[in-house]
Formats: sequence, C-alpha cells, structure tokens
Amino acid sequence: MNSRIEYWVKIPIGPIHPALEEPEKFIITLDGERIINVDVKLGYNLRGLEWIAMRRNYIQLMYLAERICGICSFSHNHTYTRAVEEMAGIEVPERAEYIRVIVGELERIHSHLLNLGVIGHAIGYDTVLHLSWLARERVMDILEAIGGNRVNYAMNTIGGVRRDIEEKHRRAILDMIAYYKNEIMPKIEEIFLYDPTVEARLRDAGVIPKRIAIEYSAQGPTARGSGVKKDVRYNERLGVYPDLGVKPVTPKEFTGVIKGDVFDRMVVRVGELWQSMELIERAFDQMPGGKIKAFAKDNLILPKLKKADGEGIGRYEAPRGEVIHYVRANPGKDIPSKWKAREPTFPNLFAVARALVGEQLADVPVAIASIDPCLSCTDRVAVVDARTGKRGILTEKDLLRASIEKTREINPEVSARPEVVGVSCPRGDLL
Amino acid sequence: MTPEEFIERIKEKFEVDAHISENKQPHPRKRAWINVDRTKFEDLMRFIKEIDPRAQFSIIIGEDRGDYLSAEYHLELFYEEEPSLSVIVATSCPKDDPKIPSLGDVFPSSVPYERENKEFLGIEFEGIPDPRRLFLPDDFPEGVYPLRRDDTGIKPEMVKNAGHPYKIGGGRK
Repeated sequence: MNSRIEYWVKIPIGPIHPALEEPEKFIITLDGERIINVDVKLGYNLRGLEWIAMRRNYIQLMYLAERICGICSFSHNHTYTRAVEEMAGIEVPERAEYIRVIVGELERIHSHLLNLGVIGHAIGYDTVLHLSWLARERVMDILEAIGGNRVNYAMNTIGGVRRDIEEKHRRAILDMIAYYKNEIMPKIEEIFLYDPTVEARLRDAGVIPKRIAIEYSAQGPTARGSGVKKDVRYNERLGVYPDLGVKPVTPKEFTGVIKGDVFDRMVVRVGELWQSMELIERAFDQMPGGKIKAFAKDNLILPKLKKADGEGIGRYEAPRGEVIHYVRANPGKDIPSKWKAREPTFPNLFAVARALVGEQLADVPVAIASIDPCLSCTDRVAVVDARTGKRGILTEKDLLRASIEKTREINPEVSARPEVVGVSCPRGDLL
Repeated sequence: MTPEEFIERIKEKFEVDAHISENKQPHPRKRAWINVDRTKFEDLMRFIKEIDPRAQFSIIIGEDRGDYLSAEYHLELFYEEEPSLSVIVATSCPKDDPKIPSLGDVFPSSVPYERENKEFLGIEFEGIPDPRRLFLPDDFPEGVYPLRRDDTGIKPEMVKNAGHPYKIGGGRK
C-alpha cells in the first residue's frame, strides 16, 4: 500500500529573485505548499553608513542621512534634523514646519503610488503598475520643481528648510491635487477597493494578526492594516501636525472590517493618499509668512552645535512607518559622538516573516511586497570589506584573479596553476 | 500616563537615575530617560511591560564609549494616545565583560536589534534565542567589531575603495 511520505523542503528566495525588488534572502521551509518557517538574512546591500558617519560632521551627516534611501530621502533627512534640533534645543520657525509637512506629504503620495503599482505587478496586473507610475510622475515633477531633484531634494537644514514654497509652487501643487482627486483616485479606488479579482487575490493573503503586529512592533501601514492605531505624526505630536488634525488611518473607516491582510494594507495606503492631499490643502490654508530658517547664515550652525551637550531623538512617520534617529553630542567637536538610524522595514520584515508561517508559498511575493520593503534603508549599517578596490566594470581578468585568490585562500594546498589555453587567451599574461 | 508619573512609578521599585527632557517643537514633546545597572535591567524591562503590556520596542543604540559599552533602548508606551510616552532606558557593560541580558522573551522584536549590536559592537546578549549573524557576511573575520573605536574595530588595511574622506589616520598630511 502507498504510505504517505512527508518531507520538508527548503527554498531560498533571494538574494536575487524575480519576485523581490531589492536584495534580501528568505529561506522558506515548506511542507507541501504550506510554509513551516521563514528565516531572513540581510546585508546584501551594506554600505557601512554608520561607520562612514563616524567621520562626518553634523552638516555632512544631513546629506549622508538623505542618501540612506532614495524613496523616503526627505524622511531620513527630516528625522535627523529633528534629532539634532532636540539635542541642541533649536527652535524651528513655524513656516518651516509647514513646508516640512507639505514636502513630507508629497513624498508620501509618491511612495504610496509606487507601492500600489508594485502590488499590481506582484499579482500580475501590470496595467496598474504602468498607470499608477504614470500618475506618480506628476508628483515627481512637483518635487523636482520645489527641490530641484526627483529624489534627494535636500529640503531640510538644521533649524528649518532650505527653500521656500512660492506662489507658483502652491498653484502647481493645488493643480496636482485636483488632478489626483478627479482623475486618479477614482480609478485607484475602483481597483483596490471594489475590484472583485483584486479582492479575491489580496483578501486573506499574508495575514498579520493584531497580536503579532504588536509583539513584533510592526510599523506604519503594516501595523495600521492590522488595526493598531499607531501613527507617529499623531502620537508624537510632531511639529504642526496636531494643528492639521492628523489621525491614524485604519481600514475600518473604509471597509468596516480589519483583517490585517494585504488588502487591508492597500486600503490604508489608499486612505493615506486622501489624507495626505487634505493635509497639504490645510497646510496651505494655515501657513503663516515669515522666515524659514532659525539661523540667519548657514555657517552659524556648526559653532552652535559645537557648544551643544546632550542627546536627542527624532521620530517621524515615513511612508513605510516610524523612522527614528538618535544623535548624541560631542562637546567641543563638530562631529557627533553617535548617530544611529532605524527605519521601518527592519521590524516589518520580521513581522511579515513571522506572519507568513502557515500561509501558502504563492502568497510570499505579494506579502513581502505589501510591506513595501526598502532594503537599502535596512542594510544601512555595516562595513563592506571590498575584495577588489576597483570601480566600474570588472573584466574577465579581474573576476578570474579574484576567483583564483579565493580558491587559494580556501585551499592553500592547491598546486595546480591556471593553464594558459590558446595564444589569444586573455589569461595568458595574468599571473 | 505622563513621564513624571511614569518615573515616579519606576522609582518606587528600582533605584535608577532618571530625568525628563523636553524639546522646542511647536507642541513640546517630553521624553523620559532612565539609566539602570545591568543587573536590574531585565527586571526593569519586565516591569515596564507590566505597566503597558502593548509597549512597542523601537531601537537599540549601542555605542563604544571608551572603556565601556552602552546600550540604549527606546520604547514607546500607550501609543494609541496623544501624546504617547517615549522612554529611553540605558544600561552599560565593561569591555572586558560585555554582557547584557537578552530581552528575547520580554520583547520578541528586540532579537534582530540584539543580533545587530552583537556583530557590530561585540555585546554579548545573555540568553539570546538566535545568536547568528544578521548583516555581516558569514566569512567576516571573527573578533572584528566594525563600530568599536579600539583595536577590535576596522583596521586600516581592511578599508579599500574608500577614497579620501574615509581614510583612517587622515591620509597624507
């Protein structure tokens, strides 16, 4: 008689995999189609930012922090400046706080539109990808008009913002909001709230129960999709956000139920698109005039920070969740004695890895995409000991040399020499 | 719960030095900073979890401070209220005995941060459920802790392709 054979299979997804946008590795243990265990390995995108930061002053660090991530570059820059302002007791002019709100919410709109497209791509609905990324171009153009760049707009400085938002920017932003509200949002709601195919695919996939979201400290839309009312802008009383009436968005306000699945996370993102546009409109209504920097000249910043003594924490709700930066002063020096950043993907990855246990293998790509992982943020902290010190394209010779070196390192007793094959072989003059 | 009430409640049970900071935002924000000896650290964290069973764990900030290593833990309590309670608990260990109790069973979300600090600073978290490396490659040399500022840190000959600003020792003078 046929007896049933049970065995577990381990499948690595990543570091490079068609379903992943960025390098990360999930080792998935399977029993048939059911997931038994998920193990996460990070560090394929290490740039050693924290080590580099040990050699940078406060101003240089601002630009380094901005380059942690290309999508939420404003968030990191903003959080870092808040940490420094808290450390040194710097008061930011009110107009600068409003400009920070406007740019921050523009960034949230572009990031959420990006993730909606990625989810469409992950479920094989590529039309959504193309259309939502087309719509995203409008907000990217606005960010370019304000900051001069599509990414890394460098709006913040310690004690304020670097550029003012003028009347022409205001008109362009309000035009953009009208365009989104009238033309894009109805389509997005049609797809992500009412389309039966999308609902059938995303409902009950990658469920993160509320208990696990709390236990593993999930952040941002991942936590709010599971019904945890957590929004740093609200509970930190951040900047001028309390005056604008910000509240955490949960799926309950839209669909009436909270299940904590991929669908709910998408509902939160759609809700936050509406919320961001309303916040920008309200910010324009309330924005006072006046100066935008606490320091009259930029060269006054470093002398002031040299005198500072203490530590500060900055927290901000980035599009993916809570970003937290810590800065501790080094009195008498312009280099802080410690700078440390934590971005939301780090806890979210472990929360989603825990939540995938018991799910189907086919749900893995969409569940991972639904937390909108941003690995270049997460892998920010290490030293890369580059084996070859070259930039540019590695030639065959370089690769061969590296592999011979590696072989000798692993097994020094190898006696064979690489053979010269043929006259024109590039290996001929190698060794 | 205000930070003042929180610190009062901690001080009833533990001997700690604590202070409250306030920043200069339009809506000032208070944070409670607590410094505790590592022998009482785990009990204190358990007590904080009793105060708010849903407390969320944000970050471990490990640092090399000369002859000792410090670790600061940021926690957020009552995060569905406005304002929530932001608490930073700091503890430290000497470099020749770098041991801090692990919080793996109190806050499961702390384990990745402990793994990170273990490989970058060499802090041993006693009782950590998963002691493997997280960010560094598996063939990274043992006994090198990249964020240390002493001999066990990154040696100059390990730095390649680093250009002028990174040069250890300031480069050519």
